[in-house]
Amino acid sequence: MKKTLLSVGVILAMATSVYAGDETVTIPLEDYRAIMNRLDALQQRVETLESSPQKTLPATEVKYDKVTKDIDHIYDSLDALETKSIKNKINFGAELRVRVDGYSGKNFNTINMTNFQNNLLTGMAPSQAMGAAMTHHDKINDPNNWTNRFRINMQAQITDSLQFHGRLAMYKNWGDSDDGTSSDLLNDFNRSHRPGSSNLWVDRAYVDWVPEGSPVPVAITIGRHPSTEGPPFELRENRLRQSTYPALLFDGENDGVVVTFGLDRYTGLKESGWRFAYGKVYHSDDDNNTGSPFPFLDDEEAADSTMAATFFETEIPGMENSLVVFSYAKIWDLPFYFSGPKLYETGMANTDVGDMEIWGVHLQASDIASSGLDLFLSYGGNKSKANGNAPMGLFGLLSSDGQSDHSGYSIYTGLRYTLPLESLNMPRVGFEYNQGSQYWFSMTMGTPDIFNKLATRGNVYDAYYIQPVNKHLFFRAGYMYVDYDYTGSGQHIGAPRESNATLENYYFLMDVRF
Amino acid sequence: MNKRVIWAGGVLFLIVGFSTMVNASNLNIFLEKCGSCHKEGAEAPPVEPADKAGLVWEKYFKRDRHPGNLHSSISAVELADVLTFLKNHAADSDHPVAAVIPK
Repeated sequence: MKKTLLSVGVILAMATSVYAGDETVTIPLEDYRAIMNRLDALQQRVETLESSPQKTLPATEVKYDKVTKDIDHIYDSLDALETKSIKNKINFGAELRVRVDGYSGKNFNTINMTNFQNNLLTGMAPSQAMGAAMTHHDKINDPNNWTNRFRINMQAQITDSLQFHGRLAMYKNWGDSDDGTSSDLLNDFNRSHRPGSSNLWVDRAYVDWVPEGSPVPVAITIGRHPSTEGPPFELRENRLRQSTYPALLFDGENDGVVVTFGLDRYTGLKESGWRFAYGKVYHSDDDNNTGSPFPFLDDEEAADSTMAATFFETEIPGMENSLVVFSYAKIWDLPFYFSGPKLYETGMANTDVGDMEIWGVHLQASDIASSGLDLFLSYGGNKSKANGNAPMGLFGLLSSDGQSDHSGYSIYTGLRYTLPLESLNMPRVGFEYNQGSQYWFSMTMGTPDIFNKLATRGNVYDAYYIQPVNKHLFFRAGYMYVDYDYTGSGQHIGAPRESNATLENYYFLMDVRF
Repeated sequence: MNKRVIWAGGVLFLIVGFSTMVNASNLNIFLEKCGSCHKEGAEAPPVEPADKAGLVWEKYFKRDRHPGNLHSSISAVELADVLTFLKNHAADSDHPVAAVIPK
């Protein structure tokens, strides 16, 4: 408005002022008056505007200013959060399991290894020494065995192509103070409150690396692997798959490297991959020889046991939430003892006893046709190749003399059903059965049940009930009956003998995961 | 013995049949209702349940943050099923663990 007024005034001045220039402009009186009236009117409007109180900003403008400031604050907060998030390199989770077990065993023998060694030192023949160290049990009960298992799970997305996974674990009997590291002043009551050892049990620590730019999809998994509690154990564990390998064949903490080729784009099969694995089952060093200056170096006794394996797995075509795995593995130079030369006081060195092949097929389908029913069927086979070594004439590979080769097999099947009872948080019931032959052998020393049921040379019946409370907490009650047909289940040394031993295990556990 | 097996099989069949009727597949509802828009080259980018934590998904729908009028294309019951699926497979849910298979 002021600009308009000023412009008119300037024009008028230019038009009427004799002093503005050398020329004089003459306009008609009427026009002059009209201009002056217009000028007066404009002047009045300016004065009115200037005298009226200042208007406040519209409400929307105020709100806009506030939102702008809020966004600035949010950006500041996000900066802080993002910085913190980037610095938080590992995501942590935890698991706690408290379990009470009752055991009842019948018709089995135990060998006191200290007595066995002492008997050998007195000059007894090995078979005599073993017989003298052996105790037969008609029946033995332990109705009240409590354990705690605690795990810290770790995961990190290091880059788009590199992931880290880890797990630290503790697993112990309640009040367990009578192991070899305890004393009157250092035991289960104060082990975390007194200087002890630097031990920390690392269950898993590995990276998945998917190299970028590879012409074929390939992943390298290296470290201490996810090789325990594999399919179908996740059903009874009330969780998702936990291992690369089917539980019937391999279930143990394992260091190695796995190269996986993704085949989805070539085969059209979902989740299909071909894996090649290499690992060490036993490294023969000298660290249980307390007199050795280099306990971590090779003790030149048994050769290292190495394992190479290949696996093909895929989702079963047309069946969601399913899995089929074909497996083959070979282990070279299995040792007499995995734990080293226990009997070194006798002067007997550890040695390797031969090679073993293991193979199998595993089929599994979960929530079939949205029915809540999960089924699995697993088959495993093994074949030994003894190298002729037979420590003490008793402990050849799946034989006494180490002169013969043997084959074994096992089947493992079962189901789990989710009861459609929302009021009870969808509880689950399951039943499993496995049967192993006389010479069945599997690398399953790390199973969640401490009896290594899948290595059984005989029949195992296992039933359980899972009661979820929420997504983090569940209870499980179960009963397992093992009917051994042959001795030495889970052992690769010695000849399996006929057995009438049985084992009953009933338990109740609480599991919390978050 | 045979009669027992037949009875056991019959009971199992009935249980499975019954539960098939009462259990809707949340995955199918998610694929049907969300997958039509959320896919490569479509009007919305693909969405993964693991994009957010379970609680964040819950708040997302509670605060009505989904663009457009979601309620015109999906019923409240279906939305609840979708939310259940998203939460069951969210970033903070249990995930399968094995050596990775590259795609």
